[in-house]
Amino acid sequence: MEGFDLLQTSYWQPLAHFGFTHSFFNLNMATIINTWLVLIVLLILCLVMGFFLKYKNGKIRFIATSFVASFIDLCEQIVGFFSAAHTGFIISIFLFILLCNCISVLPWTEEPTQDLNTTLALGIIVFIYCQAAAILHNGFWNYIKEYFAPFLIMLPLNIISKLASVVSISFRLFGNIFGGATIVAIYMSAIQGSILFETAGLLGLNWIMVGFFILFEGFLQAFVFAMLSFSYLSIAIHGESGDEQ
Amino acid sequence: MTELSWFLHYGTIASCIAITALGVGIGEGLTSQAAITALEIQPHAKSEIAKINILGAALVETAAIIASAIALILLLGNQTINEFTGYASLGIAFAICLTGFFVGLFSAKPANAAILAVARQPFFSQRIFRFMLISQSIIQTPVIFAFIIAMFIRSQSVYVTTMTDAIRLLSAGLCIGLGSIGPIIGLSNFAETACAGLGYNRTAYSKLLTFTFISQAIIETPIIFSLVISLFICFSFVGDNMIAAVAFFASALCMGLGTFGPGISSGKTAAAACRQIVINPDIYSSVSKVSIFGQGVIDTAAIYAFLVSLGLLILK
Repeated sequence: MEGFDLLQTSYWQPLAHFGFTHSFFNLNMATIINTWLVLIVLLILCLVMGFFLKYKNGKIRFIATSFVASFIDLCEQIVGFFSAAHTGFIISIFLFILLCNCISVLPWTEEPTQDLNTTLALGIIVFIYCQAAAILHNGFWNYIKEYFAPFLIMLPLNIISKLASVVSISFRLFGNIFGGATIVAIYMSAIQGSILFETAGLLGLNWIMVGFFILFEGFLQAFVFAMLSFSYLSIAIHGESGDEQ
Repeated sequence: MTELSWFLHYGTIASCIAITALGVGIGEGLTSQAAITALEIQPHAKSEIAKINILGAALVETAAIIASAIALILLLGNQTINEFTGYASLGIAFAICLTGFFVGLFSAKPANAAILAVARQPFFSQRIFRFMLISQSIIQTPVIFAFIIAMFIRSQSVYVTTMTDAIRLLSAGLCIGLGSIGPIIGLSNFAETACAGLGYNRTAYSKLLTFTFISQAIIETPIIFSLVISLFICFSFVGDNMIAAVAFFASALCMGLGTFGPGISSGKTAAAACRQIVINPDIYSSVSKVSIFGQGVIDTAAIYAFLVSLGLLILK
């Protein structure tokens, strides 16, 4: 347990020879490599699914179609109508975060979502998508009018509460995944070096830790992120008072 | 003065595990009591009730496992104690004891409600079990956040040389510890109502599941604000400046106490909406919209506390 450093990361400075040496221009190597790995896994998964969709009555075809159908159901339940664009957006966000959270079951990898930059980027993507959907659906003038909703002086409060949603959604994902990964890392370094503990770990304790803190927690947080994106989208489209009923 | 530091260091190790074990013990006792009551109501469902009782108690115990991990790390790690390190350890004690005690005590409530719901609906036990698992593991998140903060405090406490640094680390622990009490109570109140509601009306399952995800995430938002303030306090380095130390402490108290009201009342709002959905699942969409809007308005109080805390930290 000696020398366990939580903040040990290697940075890459691509623009250092142009003079940009501020920490803003640093790139986190592990995050970039693991994100590309997730994208490759996602691409292979898509190709395999696309190949198996040709066969009727296959098991993989059934899994894929029921997965998509459950998300279409969720979209109709929360947003109020089905839209292929919204459902596709949320499914891709969900699958990307799910693979990001669970990628560390592969050897020599770590979750890209335990870097705050990734989760903040995802939060900002969802925020911009929701604002764009609100403008497209309600028109620009109605969108601006929402900021002055009850009274004129509520403008700063409305802006703050919109921005707070980005903070809350991204820090929730970051905190949970980072905490789970840290706990698993500490557990692994604690059982090292003792034959008794390592045997107990191989007999099943390791699987419980990895299963709960990486697989279950990762799935749960990915689903919470997708559901919250859906509900932000619904609020952005219908307004907070729910006028479509 | 080093004696006081040693006292606080070992006191933290002991109190972390003792106070958390107190909460977890009471919680597990309540769970087992509910299981006995459920067996009295429905003796034929004894295998289902035993299964859900064991898994509920195991989830309640997560807090105790994390507290013992922290205690072991503090006990076995390298110790360079000077006269200020003890206060940093006190910060770890605040973070782990407060969250561990309340999570242990209050995460047992949804398990109780789920066990009684299984007694009402024995053939529906699989889904009630899944529902309890999800809602209970969301209540566990404050312990994980407190664990992160405790690890950061631990990794910095070696380098503490001034009183300002010591108070800074103490404030970081205090902020996440105080900040998670109110939302934990709200989360458990809501999850208890939702699990009991499944026992009354099992056809509302899919709607309740969606509603639970959204509501628990909104109730949990003040905890995330406290986490952000805690991280901010942890990583803002100043020199030996007593006024900055007071600002850190004030900011931690502001954010920590500011989450009490929003957490509890947001949970109550969602629980009331949950009862309506159970009575009449067809009005789900309008009830959920009113509830989410109300919770958003309630959460603005926490956002004010967040802004004032950030202001205290930036303008110190």
